[in-house]
Order: sequence, then C-alpha cells, then structure tokens
Amino acid sequence: MNMDDFEHKLQRQPLRQVPAGWREEILAAAEVNRRNRPVREFTFAAATFRRLRSTLNAQLSAILWPHPKAWAGLAAVWVVILAADFSVRDKSPVMAEKSAPPSPEVMVELKQQQRMLVELIGLRDTRAADRAKPLVPQPRSERAEILMT
Amino acid sequence: MWHDPPSPASARQKPELERLYDGHAQALYAFLLNLTRDEADTRDLLQDLFVKLAREEQMLNGVRDERAFLIRLAHNAAIDLMRRRGTRAKTRDQFAAEIISPFAPAGNPDEQTFRAGLAGALAGLPAEQRAVVHLKLWEGLTFERIAEALDIPLNTAASRYRYGLDKLRERLRPLYEEIK
Repeated sequence: MNMDDFEHKLQRQPLRQVPAGWREEILAAAEVNRRNRPVREFTFAAATFRRLRSTLNAQLSAILWPHPKAWAGLAAVWVVILAADFSVRDKSPVMAEKSAPPSPEVMVELKQQQRMLVELIGLRDTRAADRAKPLVPQPRSERAEILMT
Repeated sequence: MWHDPPSPASARQKPELERLYDGHAQALYAFLLNLTRDEADTRDLLQDLFVKLAREEQMLNGVRDERAFLIRLAHNAAIDLMRRRGTRAKTRDQFAAEIISPFAPAGNPDEQTFRAGLAGALAGLPAEQRAVVHLKLWEGLTFERIAEALDIPLNTAASRYRYGLDKLRERLRPLYEEIK
C-alpha cells in the first residue's frame, strides 16, 4: 500500500521521548525483581491461560457492570435457593442414620411372623399334595380283548 | 519511526535487560502512551514489562522478532489495564480538559496546532484502530508484523488501519488544508 501525502505528513510528526530518568528506575526495579523471582518458569500455556482469564474477567465485568445491584440481587436469590436446597438434602441421610436399630421385642415378633409364614407355606404344600390325583389302578377296558378275538 | 535494535556486537557488552531497554523502550513508551494517554500508566506498564522480562529470563528464548513480541506484551497489558478501568476511565476521559499528546512539542505554532489536533483525533479512535495506526505510521511495521504483534489476522490489521486513517483524514482535513 503506497502512502499518500497525508500519511507522510502524519508519519513525520515526532513522538515524545521517553523521560531520561525512567531508565535507571525501571532497570533497578527489574533487577530487584530478578533477585526475588519465583522458581516457576514462564510457559506459553501459562501466559495464554492468564490472558484468557483476564479476557474472561473483562468480558464478565463488561456484562455485569451496567446493573451491579440487579446482578448482586440475582446472585443473592440464587445463594438463598441453593442454601435451602442443601439444607433439605442434608436431612434425609441424617434421618436414615439416626433411625434406631429394632428392639428385641420387635425382633421376636418378626421371627414369630416368619415362623407362621413358613408353617402356612408348608400347609399349602401339603394341601396341594393332597389334591394331587392318587394313582389308583383303574379297571382295564375290555375293548382290547374283544378286538383280539 | 522504526529503529533497528542495537547490533549484536554492542549488545553482548551490555546486560540483557539494558540491551532490551535501550533497543525497545522508546518504541514501547510511545506506543503505550498513545494507547493509555496517561504518563503514569505508561510508566507502570513499561516497568511491569521489564520486571516480567527480568523475572522470566527464558521468555525471549526462541523469539525471532523481539520488537513484535514486546509490543504484543505491552499491548496486552495496556488493553487489560483499560478494561479494568472501564467505565471509570471513560468518565474521566470525558471530563479531562487536556489530552496527553504522544507527540513532541513543536516550535512552530501551526505545527503545534496540527499535532494537538492529531493527538485529539487519535484519542477519538477505538484503541484497536489506534494501535494499528501507531504501529504502521510511527513504528513503520508492515501489516504482517502488526498482525503478528497484535495477534490479529492480516486483513483485520489492514482494515483497522484504513478505517482509522479515514477517520483521521476526515477530522484533520481543515487543519491539514490550512498548513499544507
């Protein structure tokens, strides 16, 4: 792209010079930090993650900033709903844990009922056996003898 | 304007940080000042950048274009700062009586008026257009290097420059015609 006169005119405008005193101060600050640097090494992934997080923060703050009170109210409502949900959810296992083991009387009663059940089942089996057809020999048919003769 | 970094022979005689400062601080300063329009912020950002370079010595290993890499770091830091400031900065800017100019003062009153007008017109550009215009006009970078430095597609760099320049042209036309 060729530059026109206007662009050349802009290009010729000299920029402000960096203040001379900054060099010593900035390099001194950098040197102090070099001595106290953390062990962690810089990685591209970490830089990308930091940038992503920063962008996300910026985007979120741009969305939330226009009505901070409304968003704070909504967040508070959600916190209340979640707290109520957790308090209800927490009770059920506690109730299950706290239920007392059956008393000896109940155990005796249960065993008695179990025994009755076994007897009843045994009785039903016997009746069923009674009802089964007895294998009594029946008189033989004489039709076969007639045919033979 | 683009200044080549010092030659490797002279660079070897200086500690790494000093070499980086002498080679790039002026360009980074002008770029950051044009973005932030605040000298204190520019100072903080420049110092943070050099502190980061000091703490993470491996950062520049394998970087083939030091200037583009440093501009990218500076740009990201400036954008982060401006986003954090957000509404507060916009309000402050609206009430600010004086725009901090990234240009050197001129002896000639006409030139001084033009530079003040240019500083105002640049301040009116969105930050992303201002960054591209700055790197193209005053750093002399090609669109390829601008795209690399700002991590944007080549066409985006070119279109941002065109839009930015059109706005500057429109705003500065009366002044430009007057002093041409």
